[in-house]
Amino acid sequence: MKLVFGEGSCGIAAGARKVRAAVEKLNADGAVGVGITGCIGMCYLEPIVDVYDGGTLVKRLVKVDEAAAPALYEAAKTGDLAPLAKYEISADDREFLEKQTRIALRHCGLIDPEDIAAYEAVDGYKAIRKVLAMTPEDVIAEIKVSGLAGRGGAGFPTWFKWNAARNAKGEQKYLICNADEGDPGAFMDRAVIESDPHSLIEGMLIAAYAIGATKAFVYVRAEYPLAIVRLEKALAAAKKAGLLGENILGSGFSCDIRIKAGAGAFVCGEETALIESLEGNRGMPRLKPPFPAEKGYTQAPSNINNVETFANVAWIILNGGAAFAAMGTETSKGTKVFALTGKIKRGGLVEIPMGLTLRDVIFGIGGGIRDGGTFKAVQMGGPSGGCIPEHLLDTKIDYKALGATGAIMGSGGMVVMDSHTCMVNMARFFLDFTAKESCGKCVHCRIGTKRMHEILTRITEGKGKEGDVELLQELCNGIKAGALCGLGQTAPNPVLTTIRYFRDEYDAHIREARCPAHECAALKKYEIDPAKCKGCTMCAKKCPVGAITGTVKQPHVIDQSKCIKCGQCAATCKFGAIVVG
Amino acid sequence: MDTEMITLEIDGQSVSVPAGTTIFEAAKTAGIDIPNLCYLKELGPYGACGVCVVEVENCPKMLRACSAKVAPGMVVHTKSEKALATRKLALELLMGDHDGDCQGPCKLNCPAHTDCQKYVKEIAEGRFADAVATVKETFPLPAAIGRVCPHPCEKACRRNLVEQPISIAQLKYFAADQVRKDGNEHPIKVAAPTGKKVGIIGGGPAGLTAAFKLAQWGHMVAVYDQMPEMGGMLRYGIPEYRLPKAILKAETDAIEALGVNFINNFKIGRDADFAKFRSWFDAVIVANGAWKSTAMRVKGEDLKGVWGGIDFLRAVVTGEKPDIGERVAIVGGGNTAMDACRTAVRVGAKEVFVVYRRTRKEMPAEDVEITEAEEEGVKFKFLYAPDEILGKDGKVCGMRLQVMELGEPDERGRRKPVPVPGKFEEIALDSVIAAIGQRNDPEGFADLPQTPKGTIAADEGNFSTTLPGVFACGDTVNKGAGIAIGAIAQANEAALAVNAYLRGGEYRPVKPILSERNLTEKDFEDRPRIARAVMPQRPAEERKHDFKEVNLGLSVEAAQAEAKRCLECGCHDFEDCKLIRYANLVQADTQRLRGDFHPGFTEQKLVTIERNQRKCVLCNLCVRVCAEQAKQGLLGLVGRGFKTVIKPEFQNPAATAVCKDCHLCADNCPTGALKIIG
Repeated sequence: MKLVFGEGSCGIAAGARKVRAAVEKLNADGAVGVGITGCIGMCYLEPIVDVYDGGTLVKRLVKVDEAAAPALYEAAKTGDLAPLAKYEISADDREFLEKQTRIALRHCGLIDPEDIAAYEAVDGYKAIRKVLAMTPEDVIAEIKVSGLAGRGGAGFPTWFKWNAARNAKGEQKYLICNADEGDPGAFMDRAVIESDPHSLIEGMLIAAYAIGATKAFVYVRAEYPLAIVRLEKALAAAKKAGLLGENILGSGFSCDIRIKAGAGAFVCGEETALIESLEGNRGMPRLKPPFPAEKGYTQAPSNINNVETFANVAWIILNGGAAFAAMGTETSKGTKVFALTGKIKRGGLVEIPMGLTLRDVIFGIGGGIRDGGTFKAVQMGGPSGGCIPEHLLDTKIDYKALGATGAIMGSGGMVVMDSHTCMVNMARFFLDFTAKESCGKCVHCRIGTKRMHEILTRITEGKGKEGDVELLQELCNGIKAGALCGLGQTAPNPVLTTIRYFRDEYDAHIREARCPAHECAALKKYEIDPAKCKGCTMCAKKCPVGAITGTVKQPHVIDQSKCIKCGQCAATCKFGAIVVG
Repeated sequence: MDTEMITLEIDGQSVSVPAGTTIFEAAKTAGIDIPNLCYLKELGPYGACGVCVVEVENCPKMLRACSAKVAPGMVVHTKSEKALATRKLALELLMGDHDGDCQGPCKLNCPAHTDCQKYVKEIAEGRFADAVATVKETFPLPAAIGRVCPHPCEKACRRNLVEQPISIAQLKYFAADQVRKDGNEHPIKVAAPTGKKVGIIGGGPAGLTAAFKLAQWGHMVAVYDQMPEMGGMLRYGIPEYRLPKAILKAETDAIEALGVNFINNFKIGRDADFAKFRSWFDAVIVANGAWKSTAMRVKGEDLKGVWGGIDFLRAVVTGEKPDIGERVAIVGGGNTAMDACRTAVRVGAKEVFVVYRRTRKEMPAEDVEITEAEEEGVKFKFLYAPDEILGKDGKVCGMRLQVMELGEPDERGRRKPVPVPGKFEEIALDSVIAAIGQRNDPEGFADLPQTPKGTIAADEGNFSTTLPGVFACGDTVNKGAGIAIGAIAQANEAALAVNAYLRGGEYRPVKPILSERNLTEKDFEDRPRIARAVMPQRPAEERKHDFKEVNLGLSVEAAQAEAKRCLECGCHDFEDCKLIRYANLVQADTQRLRGDFHPGFTEQKLVTIERNQRKCVLCNLCVRVCAEQAKQGLLGLVGRGFKTVIKPEFQNPAATAVCKDCHLCADNCPTGALKIIG
């Protein structure tokens, strides 16, 4: 039997390598097969170990720790898997995967990402072979049939961009993969590169062939070291196999792919800023038009797609555009990957056909709110997106329908919030992010987001003024109209949607200096209920500023003038005597 | 190959331009100037400032005119509601983050907005004639006003936050004295005659200033005054020891030399009625001042030996030699009271008292005046109010004083004096001088509407009255008597209004939008402390016996050293600043979007260019011209978001060694962030 360890960044962080090392130590004789795979997308269950018997998955084990190594080794060696029962994935958790439809993530967590043969074994590099026998126009036509749209956020039809780049005048054309995944909470692109790098390479080769590009770049953020390593290995293997470089597979078509590590500026996910960065300049957006298809990298025609978009391409070629278009809604075709995070029971990567509702994803796949909490809202599309409240949970996942709520599909970040999340503070958090990540070029974004952040901060501190909400709305609309690039134009979305759906929370902060979710530290008040306090002195010992006093076995009190609202007392009290107001 | 021509509509105008032209350039051909801060034709579009946004019909997004290309049939609105709102927001965001002073606080706090910083700098550089010319852009009496002005400029001077203010007023009269001595004053240019005639009633600071201005603009001006000489209160209210008549005469002579006709000993009502006077001129300015002393309204006020403050001062000037006896009390705490008590000392009184109902701290008189009066032996009786003037044989023999104490602060924050019940004191006196205020004399001006105070009612903006062509300013209007420079400020506005009226228009002052810094002592901690120049004076024992000038004037060296203390708060680039021009154009609210300021510093120097990042708007023009035109590329953007600043590339000060000092960066800076100091 073979033990396959899920070694994406998340699995490794959870300890997958330590478990594997422990097993390998026992396995000096090589009695047991040991392998790795990428990320299956069930972050909350890592480390995950799959047990294979002759190529068939016989058991999936979850939350496996180092202590389980002897049992793992023994079971794999003997074939008696019964002792591993406590690690076996539950039926509930299996649902998480079973309810998904995986195209972009089709190989993630199933094959060895560092082995080109593993990819080829699952029909890898068949699509490029098929494409090399087609005309570029036919390839573009097939993509057009599929209805594939850019998965990075804007949702622009992929075939249109390819066609524009193909038709643009220029000797040298470039293909660029945007792997600068910047939205906090989104990690599907990282998962694809770490778990299935060859599908990205194949998708890029197909695109390069279609537009006539002979040079390609993957602009990947430097914070993804494992992705870079695996991609480098994959590129080397593909090159060795004649799938990359000069005269690919003897077709006469040549294309080289290089990696460029970005230094981690959010704005470099914006395509023109990415190009500037690629050229070695400060990552700041250019004015559009001209669009990159006309004047991109070094002013040459260039096409940029993101990782997830490319990851769909080989599947579409092999299965036909119509098969892809058969899934989804009228305006949004195929599947989309979401990174489900926040106060969700089962968080991770979820790929579903377009057209499912938010409720299907959050409650059906994600299992609802964890710790018995109640759903409040979901932030879609990261800092550029918006929040969607409970009464809109039946909204279909579709570019248009999501857009109508004020949120966006975006790159697929889905941050779930429960009743303990303050929506004003949430908006402040995202504005803090966009204000800091603004490149500083245009006035509306550079100063406007800063001022919005200042206003949101004063509201969360109970220092808001009547008229602040209206001022925020004015700034939002002005920044949307005046900002130079997508970062600034979408930065107001979290504020606009929280005002739209949770105006009462803003008013409570401003008019009553009250945070209804009890989250805003400055507005919190910790008090001790004398009826419940046993005088155990634990809270007084824990308090970092000595704000709690009292005699043993007598109710204690908190000096409000000293309290820094850190919450240590509430976390320490065993009797529920700390009342948070 | 012929370039295809494209026809589009911009603000309702049809415009034809070659294909590929930007909306910005297309608008320019139609004479429409679209505001922008970061565009330079030679460098191509950049798109940072967002000020050039325009709305295009059927286009969901706002377009930046600097980069968007024209298209056939395009309908562009450069001033649509949305375009203006977006442009205004950009400018308000910039102004809210612009940590600079457009003008020095001195200039802003001067009622007439005299360009103090400019003439102080000129004095520092030894260009005294230039300094006088600078003052004369605002008013014609630098030697006189420099001596008498309570200098609100100095109260606002930022040097107060370091140690003491620049001695602005003394510098002003130093320059005027120096130029008079050197005989090198710049000639005043007078425009070609317009043929219009202006009659001015009153030859004081207001009337003379208006005459000076109107004469320069080519109008025929005549100033009528009731007194034998011009100068008004400067001559008849300010004692000789503060402002020698000869010095004032030299300045009024210079006004006369411009062609202004001076007519003295002329009083409306006596020598001509107002209606007749009006008929002689195309426009009239009434600036006859406030020449009546305010009564104390106490018993015994009609006794012989009771004087009004300004009446007493005028009597001394005109040589009446008033008999005030040996023991004199002056009632009041203002500058007129100080002038009266010190004059009383000089005409021979043995004991001079100043009776004031509050304490020294509340006295409106200049501190230096009080000190000098004390030095000359004047005794101050604080917290006393006159209750009754006591008389014998119809002549003053003393005064009963009510003892006062300070009560609650009034609306201006000054504590109100309240009588202590039943507490009185009597002093023996030969005369009482009431220097508690002055008012205008409405006699002869019945045609003009009056305020409830009895002053002439004039428009606060352009000083017009309800009579066409009649303007009124100075102490005679609205709130009544004030300081000379206040009257001068009004006279300048009235002169502009008269000029516009004579040319068939109407003048309305617009309060300009300005950027102002809010600073504290902390901001100047690193400044070296330099003491303010000390004015040499004649000793009290000597000066109290005559009317010769008390102050001896600053030496050239002392004046230049004093002028060099100036912090030069006002922006060198104010006249050419695009940011403030556009902020005024869209009426941007500079305070609405104030918050933290972006990081600022002034240390970085590029050979002869001082870079003040507090004023930088990050248009990036300096970076781009340096790289693309100067081919140096030694500037770059550092940091991200709000904290972005421009610094020499790689933050390496050694980059300055590469700088060719071509000044292209400073020349193209739309604000005052870059200053050529070499």
